[in-house]
Amino acid sequence: MNVALAPRPSVVLRDADEAFVTLDGVTKVFGKGKASMTALENVSLELRKGEFVCILGTSGCGKSTLLSLVAGLDKVTSGTIEIADGRPAVMFQEPALLPWLTVRRNVELPMRLHKVDTEERNKTVNRLLSMVGLIDFADHRPHQLSGGMRQRCALARALAQDSELLLMDEPFAALDALTRDQLHDDLNRIWQETGKTIIFVTHNVREAVRLGDRVVLMTPRPGRVARIWDVDIARPRELDSFEVSGLAHEITAQLRAGAAGNGAQ
Amino acid sequence: MERNRLQRVLRASWPRLVAIGLLVGIWQLLVVVGVQSGGALGAGEPLPGPGDAIAEIGYLIHIGVLVPALLQTLERAAIGYALALAMGTVIGLAVVRIPVLRAGVGSLLAGLQSLPSVVWVPFAVLFLGDFAVYFVVIMGAFPSIAMGLMSSYDNVPPLTFSLARSMGARGPGYYRHFIFSATLPGYVAGMKQAWAFSWRSLMAAELIIGSTASTGLGQILDNGRTLGDLPEMFAALLAILIVGIAVNDLLFAPLERGLLRRRGLVPA
Repeated sequence: MNVALAPRPSVVLRDADEAFVTLDGVTKVFGKGKASMTALENVSLELRKGEFVCILGTSGCGKSTLLSLVAGLDKVTSGTIEIADGRPAVMFQEPALLPWLTVRRNVELPMRLHKVDTEERNKTVNRLLSMVGLIDFADHRPHQLSGGMRQRCALARALAQDSELLLMDEPFAALDALTRDQLHDDLNRIWQETGKTIIFVTHNVREAVRLGDRVVLMTPRPGRVARIWDVDIARPRELDSFEVSGLAHEITAQLRAGAAGNGAQ
Repeated sequence: MERNRLQRVLRASWPRLVAIGLLVGIWQLLVVVGVQSGGALGAGEPLPGPGDAIAEIGYLIHIGVLVPALLQTLERAAIGYALALAMGTVIGLAVVRIPVLRAGVGSLLAGLQSLPSVVWVPFAVLFLGDFAVYFVVIMGAFPSIAMGLMSSYDNVPPLTFSLARSMGARGPGYYRHFIFSATLPGYVAGMKQAWAFSWRSLMAAELIIGSTASTGLGQILDNGRTLGDLPEMFAALLAILIVGIAVNDLLFAPLERGLLRRRGLVPA
């Protein structure tokens, strides 16, 4: 594997756990011939079941492309993506709630599409709405909610899909800092309660360190895995704690060095 | 309480009342000035005023002409509109879902929409007999429905379709929860416009086709012209105007307003 930045990424899992998600030599090229653009080059990554992995990088490093490939919304040019269990649930940067449905109806939509019976549906929706703190807003419509509440609703809907794998594409990027902090706490708690496997894409270093078991740093044009950090900081983590800040500084320094030395192989 | 309600209705509707008052005022002014008809038939007859037209409506109801004609016309409108709705929906859906059709039929629809549907009347009469009226209404109304669906589909955020795919939406569920729901505002706007077009087309058809077995509002107007009965003409005109406005205001406008309000697109 041709990686610009040492040390070699810990791509392969150390312990004997079987990989839940496996990306092997994933390459994505948009366009053809001279006009083609390599968005991702030879990205390999393994995720354990229940792991929270943050993909970190500046804009244009192909992290969103990577996510839509895993989501099955786009096809790889070469390489393989294997997911041990079914179709992943996706949460986008925008809440993408359907404006004609109430909060409750939005959350139950994936279950309606897959013909889950009414009783079980209602039970699950109530549980999920309580989990994300929206139970009192079940009959509101999206336009009556704040930005943070909309993302909570989108999170509940993604959870309603009952997939073991949850893909999150900068879901909190458009929120103010206080709301984001609150949602970090909630996401951390929900992840621990549900045991989902999460791939979380972000350009925010502290966010990645605060949330992830591992932080995967990517370099842009073409998108490659530059380095992977294991984050051994006890949860729940504080955004401005000494440990989080310290690791965030280290990663930021690496990010800067990578940006400066990009292309010098 | 009752009084407050009355005040609220008045507050909401006064611009419209003023506009109607202005129109009636101008009409009355023309009567006072002494405008007369100058055509071959009934030349030199004075213009009937708003009062005359309303009195004539009363008379036409009294002699049992207006109500059956109104019902006849409304039946034609309803049948023609329903057929146009079905046809516009099917064609609109096909065009948005099948790329080849979009390239071919899309521009044709826009052309068809700008074609005054009255030009179909001579052909319809020749080829379709009793069905001619419906054909003209359909040709007038269905492009608006199909175009409404198309433009609405184009305005759905691409993220909505990504969401549908990520949820694994397929088949009837996909149509029901995504395609139909997402395009509903544009579809209803198209329905509203299609009503205006179909009402227009129907009147043109009734006026021109004239002598079919059963009499509608358009034939009353034509009849008035033939006999040089100016009050009858104005009574028919008024009735046509009132029906057109009433169907829009009582049916389509509330439908659209309710829809937009539920989606937070207009203030509650």
